[in-house]
Amino acid sequence: MKVRNRLKSGNGPIFLALLATIVVVFMIELIFVRDFNIAKVAFIKPRNISNVLMQVSTTGILAIGMTLVMISGGIDLSIGQMMCFIGTGMAFMMRTVGLNDWVVVLLGVAVAVLFQVLMGFIISRTKLEPFIVSLGFMSIYKGFTYLITNGSEITIEGRFNFLGSTYLNLGSSLRLGMPVIVFILLEVLAWLVLKYTKFGRSVYAVGGNENAAFLAGINIKKFKLLVYGVNGIFVAIATMVLLSRLGTGNPLIGDGKEIDVIAAVVVGGTALSGGRGNVWGTLIGVFLLGCISNALNILGVNPYWQYVMTGTIIVLAVLLSYFSSLSSTSVNAGPMKKKPNKEQGIVAN
Amino acid sequence: MPEDLILNMKGISKSYPGVTVFENFDFSLRRGEIHGICGENGAGKSTLIKILSGAHSPDDGSIEFEGAKVESLDPYSAMQMGIQTIYQEHNLFPFLNVVENLYAGNELTNGLIINKPRMLAKTQEILEYLHSDISPFDTVGKLSTSARKTVEIARALIQKSKMLILDEPTASFNQTEIDRLFEIIKRLAQNGQSVIYISHHLEEVFRLADRVTVIRDGQKVNTYDIADLTEQKLIHDMVGRDVSLFYQRKQVPIGDVELETRHLTGNGVKDVSIVLRKGEILGIAGMDGSGRSELAELIFGVKKAESGEILIKDKKVRIKSPLSAIRHRICFITGDRQGTGLFLRHPIARNIPIVSYTKTKTPFALPGDDVKMSERFVNILNIRTPSVFQLAMLLSGGNQQKIVLAKWFASEGEIFIFDEPTRGIDVGAKEEIYKIMVGLLEENKSIVMISSDMPELIAMSDRIIVMRKGSVAAQLGKDEISEETILKHAIGSGGK
Repeated sequence: MKVRNRLKSGNGPIFLALLATIVVVFMIELIFVRDFNIAKVAFIKPRNISNVLMQVSTTGILAIGMTLVMISGGIDLSIGQMMCFIGTGMAFMMRTVGLNDWVVVLLGVAVAVLFQVLMGFIISRTKLEPFIVSLGFMSIYKGFTYLITNGSEITIEGRFNFLGSTYLNLGSSLRLGMPVIVFILLEVLAWLVLKYTKFGRSVYAVGGNENAAFLAGINIKKFKLLVYGVNGIFVAIATMVLLSRLGTGNPLIGDGKEIDVIAAVVVGGTALSGGRGNVWGTLIGVFLLGCISNALNILGVNPYWQYVMTGTIIVLAVLLSYFSSLSSTSVNAGPMKKKPNKEQGIVAN
Repeated sequence: MPEDLILNMKGISKSYPGVTVFENFDFSLRRGEIHGICGENGAGKSTLIKILSGAHSPDDGSIEFEGAKVESLDPYSAMQMGIQTIYQEHNLFPFLNVVENLYAGNELTNGLIINKPRMLAKTQEILEYLHSDISPFDTVGKLSTSARKTVEIARALIQKSKMLILDEPTASFNQTEIDRLFEIIKRLAQNGQSVIYISHHLEEVFRLADRVTVIRDGQKVNTYDIADLTEQKLIHDMVGRDVSLFYQRKQVPIGDVELETRHLTGNGVKDVSIVLRKGEILGIAGMDGSGRSELAELIFGVKKAESGEILIKDKKVRIKSPLSAIRHRICFITGDRQGTGLFLRHPIARNIPIVSYTKTKTPFALPGDDVKMSERFVNILNIRTPSVFQLAMLLSGGNQQKIVLAKWFASEGEIFIFDEPTRGIDVGAKEEIYKIMVGLLEENKSIVMISSDMPELIAMSDRIIVMRKGSVAAQLGKDEISEETILKHAIGSGGK
């Protein structure tokens, strides 16, 4: 019952379509390439599964923060470029400045949080569209990245690699990398916070109806700072994981990540209008997209098709939420119930 | 027909789901006359405008315009026929200048190219005709409210205009601005324009109108020549309801002063001093836009007061946000429960506890506690729902309102501000809400009740404050309360 409802609301159709794609890809490989020999299917080999998990963990960590931001009614396009900025910045401080690893970690988190809070400050005080504000920050970070690196990589020479190359062996060739473990822990933490804290309730309340939340005593301005700040922490952690795995501060380390992350969040059922969604949905979204991209790789499909697919998913999600809002407003809003002079909203500036 | 009628409406009926607004409504307008329309809030004035401007079509009845029957009316054809409507809210493009505003969507062209000189000349001509000193190149957003109204009139005139509908045009005007507008309207009428003038302000109607039609509950009560009309008659026609048949409320002993405002000013409210005692319902009456809800917003910290002070239990308090109002145990049940009261897409169990979170210091909120609290209130308030997991949007208006009440009850408030507590809910649910309110009084709490529903306000209030143009026009004790007196002060004929 609950599952059916979730599929019917939100982005169930996209979810099912992706699931179907994976099954189809799997069947194609099974039938045409492997001659019905399941054991030979590369897609479900433990090694491949470990790989997929490792690959999705960065996107997954980013997607947790984005889920919080999007449930509370915002969006952040800047996370990909922020990763580039923080990632190359950290590499720069380790390599060129020669700071201690832990000092660099602290600095990385601090800078990420600081910039996110600054963005939250602008968004909460001015009511500007988060979309456009974060677009501006995106360009700022890109600039910083190239100012730091001049366009070339900064290797960190194997320092700081415990995050990327520590593994937990779960049998012959199935092993969980540290990034995956961090991802799962953060996921559980975010779930607990959303479910069992007042902050979690505020996330849903502010996204559901900002005016009502304000009148219910939620300090909207402070709250938004907090949400974006928390998002900054997730971006910083994701950056460290990836930096440690790659061992190099590449200026393209997070390029385009925001699109993957937003796609995963909307596939997971978070409403683009805010107020609904949860981190487990996002987790499924992240896995689904990761599996598809992996499956397409195995089949040898040109990887550029993945951009087409991710973009299509986002557009479809927007369309679906548009149509579902059309049908639900006609149900609940009678013509007499609206007070025409109150449409401006009540939240004080 | 002896009269030169430009408009003749016969047997107009209009209903919205659940409410009949017009029943068998007749109305006629002569050429070149200024026709005032009076009625209480919700009498059907705005529906009349909507029908005439083509925004809504009537369910039944006939409309004749200039002797020809009008088959169907939409906003575009209404304007083509010469019916121009100027709404209370401005409908201008703030970033465009006056010329561009006047011709927006109707640009004069030479073939494909816009003919700027001709538009400019015409604009100057019309502004001169209106004796206005606005420049055609002024950016509309930078003009004063009254100048903007003039621009709207100019825009109406530049198109073919035979009948002009003005809805509350003088809101936030000062006296000189009102005088100038009236001069313009009178000149228009002399030149053959017919004007429908809708206003809450009695003296405006008496100064301006040739005839006045009173509407009550969607029916025409009477049409008078202004010479035959007295204030008394007008108010009597606007009221005309038997209040004594209405809800009989239990009286509760009234205690000490709980809330007081002194010279509260700001947010469109001017110098308002009120006193609210324990166990008392203080009614606030007034026409739409008289500053009632704005006063509530000041007390609740939604908007900041410019001056004046608020006292709770004789102690001065500073309320700078809804959160601090809640900490001072004030509750605000807004008039727009869907827009500002509920989280429509969230279940009941997420709606009810939301204010109570401000009451505890712990950072945690346990879903089990939420459900328990919600179930308790669903029982107490008799909210009809299959479970507390039902989404708020799926409930009826009355039950939605009870969810809003439960949300505030859970916050353990002492002072309750109700803004239109029973708007859009059915009779049975209304009575339940009244009982709940009296129940609050019995617990020694205090209530401020803003309502446009006069019988409700009279039946429930211990005292009534009548507001007009942002200030207190009158304070009425229990024995002075009658619909006539309230209305007299609300539309501004009192005190003389």
